[in-house]
Amino acid sequence: MNKFWLVFAQEYKRHVLRKRFIFAALSMPIFVGFIALVGFLSVRLQYNSAPVGYLDSYSILSNPQPVPAEKNSLLPAADFVAYSSETSARSDLEAGKIQAYFVLSKDYLSSGEVTLVKGKKAGANITDDFGSFMSFNLLEGKPQNVITRLTEGNNLIIRSADGSRELAANNWLSIAMPFLAGILFIIAVNISGGYLLQAVVEEKENRTMEIIITSVSPSQLMAGKVLADLLVGLTELTIWIVFMLIALRFVPQWVAIGQSTQLDAGSILLMVGTFLPAFVMVAAAMGAIGATATEAREAQQVAGLFTLPIVVPFWFTTAIMFNPNGAISTGLSMFPLTAPISLPLRAMFTNIPAWQIVLTIGLLFLLAGFTVWLAGRVFRIGMLRYGKKVSFREVFRTQPVQGR
Amino acid sequence: MPSISVQNITKKFASQTAVDNVSFDVEAGEIFGLLGPNGAGKTTCIRIILDIFKPDSGSVTLLGGPMNEEKKNKIGYLPEERGLYQDIPLERCLVYLATLKGMDASVAQERVANYLTRFDLIDWRKKKVKELSKGMQQKAQLITTLVHQPQVIIIDEPFSSLDPVNTQMVKDLLREERDAGKTIIMCTHQMHQVEELCDRLVLIDQGKAMLYGTLHDVRQQFAKPAVTVSTQDKLPQSLPGVDNIQNENGDYTLHLAPGKSPQDLLQFLVQAHLHIDKFEIAMPTLDEIFIEVVKKQGVSQ
Repeated sequence: MNKFWLVFAQEYKRHVLRKRFIFAALSMPIFVGFIALVGFLSVRLQYNSAPVGYLDSYSILSNPQPVPAEKNSLLPAADFVAYSSETSARSDLEAGKIQAYFVLSKDYLSSGEVTLVKGKKAGANITDDFGSFMSFNLLEGKPQNVITRLTEGNNLIIRSADGSRELAANNWLSIAMPFLAGILFIIAVNISGGYLLQAVVEEKENRTMEIIITSVSPSQLMAGKVLADLLVGLTELTIWIVFMLIALRFVPQWVAIGQSTQLDAGSILLMVGTFLPAFVMVAAAMGAIGATATEAREAQQVAGLFTLPIVVPFWFTTAIMFNPNGAISTGLSMFPLTAPISLPLRAMFTNIPAWQIVLTIGLLFLLAGFTVWLAGRVFRIGMLRYGKKVSFREVFRTQPVQGR
Repeated sequence: MPSISVQNITKKFASQTAVDNVSFDVEAGEIFGLLGPNGAGKTTCIRIILDIFKPDSGSVTLLGGPMNEEKKNKIGYLPEERGLYQDIPLERCLVYLATLKGMDASVAQERVANYLTRFDLIDWRKKKVKELSKGMQQKAQLITTLVHQPQVIIIDEPFSSLDPVNTQMVKDLLREERDAGKTIIMCTHQMHQVEELCDRLVLIDQGKAMLYGTLHDVRQQFAKPAVTVSTQDKLPQSLPGVDNIQNENGDYTLHLAPGKSPQDLLQFLVQAHLHIDKFEIAMPTLDEIFIEVVKKQGVSQ
């Protein structure tokens, strides 16, 4: 078997079979699940589904009806009970039959004034539930499409001046997709890069490197490691996504949103075109840092500097969204280190000229190639050096060490 | 044709000359000692032979030509700094390193198991490497060096951390490999091991080759006019033709005066009716030669 595949298989198994990896893969969903559970519990503790009373002494609501219950809702709205006098409402409140009651004022329709009288156990949900109840009943008799429009609001469609790009507000996940993909990309780069860095530093620290490079060429070694660590990062992401999909089964509203999301092939190509060279670039840099560092902690500190520029566009999201053809947006989307996040994001809001896309992706691939070359040289010089830094002069000197 | 031919190699790191115009040949079927004090340039020499470093000038021929990927499979290397993956089971680590040397996984598995049995490590095969003692890790490292049956074996301090029983086993193993026609370069500071095992040697100091030749020739070259005598009788305070008498562990070293021969001394001792148990030309030990050469080089610098 080609030694590249041996290195690849060993590197992948070595990380994935470690307790540390399994713990990291499971800890994220457990952590998110725990946060969600705590959030749900805190809402649930403030929630009370016991009936709520209301006094409509001035017959503002002609024929009040309960709001139709939402399907599969974990926290159904409270039922509303009409009272003819405040005395009976108060006595039921004191008897614990209702948790609170609302009193509509005479000029409710003009002032919106409502008085709430609540018991000690009144839930935090009753105000919202009462708002829904009032809206539903005030709109009674209006055509269903009018009710829907008023309750769900507008679906804003933004179209570029030349008509080439169009985005609907109800397809919001499509807008968020480059953003989410960017976050996932950064996580994947950090995980994979981190594993690569750790692997190289460890091999240096435990002196396995000297044995390995007398068996495999540095290029085979690095290529095997980069691919394996990319896969380790993707494995971890996949585990998280699987957990996320399982969780979504319990929140059915999300499935509908997911199904309505439309991503065109162009956006996907842009993401792949920028993410791939950027990943290679970061991975190569991590390998080189690992080879030159004398200990893991030092390597991790330096590695942070390489991933920082990739995150920068997130601070400029508003500028990219509202002025996608401005200098900042264009600059960020063309600068190789910030392009992976800003180019796909900018493409959602404007029609980027083809030359800019070609130039940016071309530059990214060129830079990725250069970084691999540079990392290869740094790696070959630094892999067996302990306690002494690699200088720029050494890197650019011809034929420093092992050539293959 | 020698298995390894090192021709006038020089290697500088910044302003420091690590190896300075060094040449030597290593033949198949011999154990060749690469000696020198700390920082003399031995490891750099080895790394140049292994093509980890390129020399600034000079050349290395290995198994008839320059190093290539295929030849890497024919080399077994035990570096000075031991290196094994610490957090994976011993057997998996050894099999992986063996497959990197071009061995089929099933063959590697079988051979590793044989070596683990021979090195008395078979019960530890499922343990993580970091759980092994230093001596055990040293044996495991030796397995990595030999398991793929390399034609060229380069070992740096092979006996460190080994107890006398394992030291003897490794010596026997190295002799076996030599007798099987393998080319062996051994780096060590333990001169008695060199005297016991090496056929030829090169001594490097401050990057330069100071001595090169067979063990016998080197010792001959440094032999002083002296004899070693072992006797149950007491030697007279002064002996004719002897400048100086040293007594060490019951053996006398008699340093002869200029122009005096050992035969004259032997004749005198016999005539004096002394019971001679041993009478031999005193040859310097490698330790003495090593110290003398290194000190002289230090003074000349």
